[in-house]
Amino acid sequence: MPATAAREGSARHENALHKILIANRGEIAVRLIRACRDMGLASVAVYSECDRAARHVRMADEAYPIGANPPGESYLRIDRIIDAARRSGADAVHPGYGFLAENEEFAAACRAAGLTFIGPAPETIGLMGSKTAARQAAVAAGVPVVPGTTEPLGTDVSDDKIADIASEIGYPVMVKAVAGGGGKGLRVVWSRAELSSAIRAARSEAGASFGDSAIYLERRLTRPRHVEVQLLGDVHGTVLPFVERECSIQRRHQKVIEETPSPAVTPELRRQMTAAAAAVAASVGYTNAGTIEFLLDEDGSFYFLEMNTRLQVEHPITELVTGVDLVEWQIRIARGEALTFDPRRLVTPYGHAIECRIYAEDPDSGFLPSPGRISRLRLPAGPGIRHDSGAEAGSDVPIFYDPMISKLIAWGESRQQAIARMRRALVEYEVVGIRTSVPFFRWMLAQSDFEQGRFDTTSLDRLLKARQGEPFLPSGDADDEVAAIAAALYLAMGAAQPASRASRAGGSAAAPPAGQPSRWLQRARFEALRS
Amino acid sequence: MTYDVEINGRLRRVGVERAPAGYVVTVDGHRRAVDVIAINGALSLIVQEPEAPSRSYEVAIAEQPPGTGVLTVYVSGRVVTAAVERSRGSWARRGHEGAHGSGPHQVVSPMPGKVVKVLVKPGDTVAARQGVVVVEAMKMENELRSTRAGTVAAVTAIEGQSVEAGAVLVVIA
Repeated sequence: MPATAAREGSARHENALHKILIANRGEIAVRLIRACRDMGLASVAVYSECDRAARHVRMADEAYPIGANPPGESYLRIDRIIDAARRSGADAVHPGYGFLAENEEFAAACRAAGLTFIGPAPETIGLMGSKTAARQAAVAAGVPVVPGTTEPLGTDVSDDKIADIASEIGYPVMVKAVAGGGGKGLRVVWSRAELSSAIRAARSEAGASFGDSAIYLERRLTRPRHVEVQLLGDVHGTVLPFVERECSIQRRHQKVIEETPSPAVTPELRRQMTAAAAAVAASVGYTNAGTIEFLLDEDGSFYFLEMNTRLQVEHPITELVTGVDLVEWQIRIARGEALTFDPRRLVTPYGHAIECRIYAEDPDSGFLPSPGRISRLRLPAGPGIRHDSGAEAGSDVPIFYDPMISKLIAWGESRQQAIARMRRALVEYEVVGIRTSVPFFRWMLAQSDFEQGRFDTTSLDRLLKARQGEPFLPSGDADDEVAAIAAALYLAMGAAQPASRASRAGGSAAAPPAGQPSRWLQRARFEALRS
Repeated sequence: MTYDVEINGRLRRVGVERAPAGYVVTVDGHRRAVDVIAINGALSLIVQEPEAPSRSYEVAIAEQPPGTGVLTVYVSGRVVTAAVERSRGSWARRGHEGAHGSGPHQVVSPMPGKVVKVLVKPGDTVAARQGVVVVEAMKMENELRSTRAGTVAAVTAIEGQSVEAGAVLVVIA
């Protein structure tokens, strides 16, 4: 697909935008609504049944129900989302990340309905969404790729043929889904003996998750870092890269901590990587926001891994070190505006930013999801702290979606200060009612390897394995004693007359039935739910 | 009023007396003056020991299920389970029931999902935190573990079966 045709596709919508439908939920929907507010644009929310009370619905200017809880019956329903856009009179749609953000059919449906899709052209999404086509594009742009196949291997290719390719690449190899991405649908194969079952499993998972069972192979680098480059492209042909993001702290191929700049990237390496990323994006006429992911080997060589044709979860850290509002610019690019930045500004970070993805998971039970009601929430704030969340006290974390409840981001003038502030913020972060990964982050931010910037994509899984399920933040005797005092007082105060000092509401002084919390304690709890 | 509080397998006897300015709390014989208020659904404690600084703590407590005396206590960023009872005379009375006793422990599914793999059978010995069943939910495989050591008394989970939240899958005695 010629690059110019793709560019012209989005240039057709060079109108002012007035109302944007947000085809997403949770923290990103809240983030997008805020950008709309900043720009004086009306926002439209869509919601599944269980999200009726969600923050994004209450914050938006308009809201439309789109179906039952499972994503396949709501947030992935292209027809219902387009219908909601039509009913609301929205002139643009922002897909956020996940769900339909990298769905070519959705982008095309928006275009066909006369809606501006805030993202790249559908054809570009399709091109870069095929991991093998993306690899070919990188090769064509003169950018090194992870050694491996550049053609998809469909079910018509025999296991023996694939084994020949694998031997050429050299074990260990990664078997990956052509239509996949985001760390899903991968298998590591250490020898020929494991290959056939890995191919079968990968094809089956790929077919079920992405609707396409084609796979490809890549050499598995031993201890690479995952370093990615944010890009913005406008409809006039300008493509600008940003300072890299370091995303090597991953659990089972899912990012948990991201930071920028990378402690492992020198100014010269930054120059090379950002130039390479821009070259690939420019070669396909990329418009709007996107990210190119690289693997950085121990010897300083870097290889193109894949391109994500959407806004990423970790975009805030780039915003904090460059002062650029990426969502604002996504909207401005969609309007047809030109990128007018001094390119040097975007690759020269001011300070350092770190993000922790806070999940509703119990790290002490192998990160088991912990859905349920958040009865109390105390959020960190103060210098250098940004918190992007959709959750509130009294809200439910549903089981149907990704259990990420918020992103906690710390900025400092130095990496050291960013770490210190993140530690402070994690101590302030208090959630009652569900388990969260906060104890894990407190432990992780205290590891000397993290402090030294010494890690790669295998580090976290190895560290977790070595711990063998030991609790991350065990209580000591001193904590237990305070807990005992509080527990005893809790019962004593519940059974006794409320003391004038302790009363907030000035309610009745009658003692409640034994075993029931006193009325003023109940009142205090009620007020907590409202805060 | 005296309470027996069990936390992490250790029992503490906690005495609570009203005092002119708050409470005097005695923990295993050590006296402390405690000023406490309830605020925003939590307790703010200022604890003073003789010859020691006044320490300030904010402690949130969730009682579950209500009325059982089993409290989840959030203190200093840590989550602690406390089983609290009014003291009854001597220490001896607490048989082995309660939050960490050796009554049967049920491994339940925390959310709806599908049983992918059953890792144990009745009669097997299990260690604390050993995985006993794998449930697929929220797009991932989750290994559920026994919280303590014991013997598998019953396995009600069947591979391939869909389960609801709260479904009992394995019972450890």
